[in-house]
Amino acid sequence: MFFYLTKRGENMKKAAMSLRERKFRRIAYIYVLPALLFFFLLNAYPLLSVLWDSFQIKNLLNKAVSGFAGMENYKEVISNEYFLGTLRNTFIWTVLSVAGEYILGLTSAVALNQNVRGRTFFRALVIIPWIVPIVVAGLTWDWMLSPDYGIINYWLTSMGLIKEPVYWLGEMDTALLTIVFVNIWRSFPFYTITLLAGLQSVSRDVLEAAAIDGAGVRQRFFKIVMPQLKTVSLTIVFIHIIWTAINFDFIWIMTQGGPLHSSETLPIMIYRYAMQEYNFGNASALASMMLGFMLSGFILYYLYTARKSRA
Amino acid sequence: MKNKLSLIFSFVLVIGLLAGCGGGRNETANTSTDTGNSPAKENAGKTEAVTLNFWSALDPSSEEGRTIKQLVEQFDSSREDININLQVISYDVMHDKLVAAINAGDAPDISWGLSEWFGEFNQFDALMDLTDYFNSWEDKDKIYSNVIEAYTVDGKLKALPNYLGIRALLYHDDILKEAGYNGPPATWDELLAMGPVIKEKTGKEAFGIAGSGVRSPQELIMYLAQNDVVIAEKMSDGKYKNTWQDNPDQLARAAEVFQFYQDLLSTKTIKSDAKTWGWEEEDQNFALGQYAMVVDGSWMQTYEVAQPEEMADVKIAAPMYKSTPATFMEIAPLFIYKTAKADATWEFAKFLLGAEYQSAVNLNEAPRTDIISDSPWGRDFMALAETGVVFPAVSLGGITNVMQDSLAKVLLKNEQPEDVAAWLSQAINDSLKKTGELSAE
Repeated sequence: MFFYLTKRGENMKKAAMSLRERKFRRIAYIYVLPALLFFFLLNAYPLLSVLWDSFQIKNLLNKAVSGFAGMENYKEVISNEYFLGTLRNTFIWTVLSVAGEYILGLTSAVALNQNVRGRTFFRALVIIPWIVPIVVAGLTWDWMLSPDYGIINYWLTSMGLIKEPVYWLGEMDTALLTIVFVNIWRSFPFYTITLLAGLQSVSRDVLEAAAIDGAGVRQRFFKIVMPQLKTVSLTIVFIHIIWTAINFDFIWIMTQGGPLHSSETLPIMIYRYAMQEYNFGNASALASMMLGFMLSGFILYYLYTARKSRA
Repeated sequence: MKNKLSLIFSFVLVIGLLAGCGGGRNETANTSTDTGNSPAKENAGKTEAVTLNFWSALDPSSEEGRTIKQLVEQFDSSREDININLQVISYDVMHDKLVAAINAGDAPDISWGLSEWFGEFNQFDALMDLTDYFNSWEDKDKIYSNVIEAYTVDGKLKALPNYLGIRALLYHDDILKEAGYNGPPATWDELLAMGPVIKEKTGKEAFGIAGSGVRSPQELIMYLAQNDVVIAEKMSDGKYKNTWQDNPDQLARAAEVFQFYQDLLSTKTIKSDAKTWGWEEEDQNFALGQYAMVVDGSWMQTYEVAQPEEMADVKIAAPMYKSTPATFMEIAPLFIYKTAKADATWEFAKFLLGAEYQSAVNLNEAPRTDIISDSPWGRDFMALAETGVVFPAVSLGGITNVMQDSLAKVLLKNEQPEDVAAWLSQAINDSLKKTGELSAE
């Protein structure tokens, strides 16, 4: 009975749709076709291939052994002695980078939102790190941080902050944090320009009214400005969590994940499995796990916000 | 009418986009430097001249690079039946590109490469058997026999030498003299004894190593060979195995090598930063006279132009050793891939190995016995060819990674040499097992 009614409703709806509307809809589908093709060819197919390969024995150097591997690839990856360290590095790298970029971006955006002399010049200046190609930035910082000829060590020793030059990228304790610092330097301008746009949309009337009502600078910032930046902040933070977690080039250029895997993140480990050991089964398993970690994080956040909004 | 136009437009768009995704082969040919552009060649094209894809890591800005290009163009012009499609790809990206190309069935006909890639490409079954071609070549006896042996697997010659990167001990004579020494050390013990003295008298470190990067495993197998151990032995079943754990004497000798690394650091014979130096820091700091001695290649001569004063006192000797004189011999290969154009590719390979090309391009590092430069950078290095050791013909990707890790464990984490030797032995065998090259013995 229900099926009959539904079918009838659909027929009526179809009849109501004019010939012209149906043509428009058909054309719309055709226009969407290239995007769909791209999605299936470049996103869905590779993604499913990786998932499939993660359950296969797939080593290009040992083609004699192949077939279904079950969970073996996942077991091998998890039992790798550097896996947990790499996972921890990925977390530290992502959290510190995004937090540092946000704080520096917000601070500079607030500063550049003030009516100061040369504001346009400073706004143009702040964007420079972001437009420098990653390879150029990575190699330049590599030289600047060199213990023998680097300007950073020269300055720090000249100012008496350190006794002797430090091999920032060559020590296990400092390598990851140094790359985080360079990454923050390079990425914060994106936050600056985005947050600056958000700050400019904050109503001056509301701020003035709050000031008249006795709200101090701190109160106005945290009670009026920040809530209005919430949407734009969440957007750029989420985008950067993804971009940073999957970043490969910056770390590879500066340390290749060393010394002794101390700055190795999951994408570097995937690369090692795939392009140094040619073990695409292990590489696919790790890539699938990484996808799982990222998805879990976002699903948890979605559930949290959904519950909060319901409450 | 408008709808039809939209429809046609959509199809054109889709076809255009799909066309953009394909056609890799033709595009490769278009973006490369095709040297076959002479009028004679155009005519020859009508008689179906063969085009060979040649990937080279030459440096176009260097004199050597310009010479190579010129010689290849000369070959191209002289042969109506062969076109050379030369593509310049740096070593940094060539490896990954070759791996992708081989597995996509789109490998070039011939390419440069590094010796570390040989085992992998052989495992991929991508390399042509050159045995018959080589045996029928009139110049075959002019190539060093141990070099040819290094690229012979199961009686089949699978690669040719492009040039030799033999390592020798380079030393700044002035620094040694300032410290009161007339010559370099002959043994590890002598080096370790000289280290603190040189540091005290000159303020500079005595020695340099590459603690990380591609060069560190090369140096490690040299030191292992100097103490009579190898990273993998060929067993009677034709496969390989690291036998240190089966043989306490070998394990002890391997541990002595790691102890040597730790001693270099603890006696301040090497700079503390050298524990994570790559080849760039090692070469550059030596060229600038920041430390006294290094085991390095003849390419260091190129620094004489940029740092003439600092390099003026550099002299060459045999590397110091523990029990057996040995040095690392990098045999930079010419890979010839399985191709339908085998005859033409061999003709071109013969040209690259020929006396004219080698004397013009690789005078100091030619793999031919009849081409030895009179300069110390040629003569003194080639004199060490007999003591040269090479990597075993196995897949080295995983092995060189664990070799680098072993050095980091010793130098950065200060782990016990015996433990690291045992760990490395197991890690090498694990890697061989994954690639199906581990002997069951």
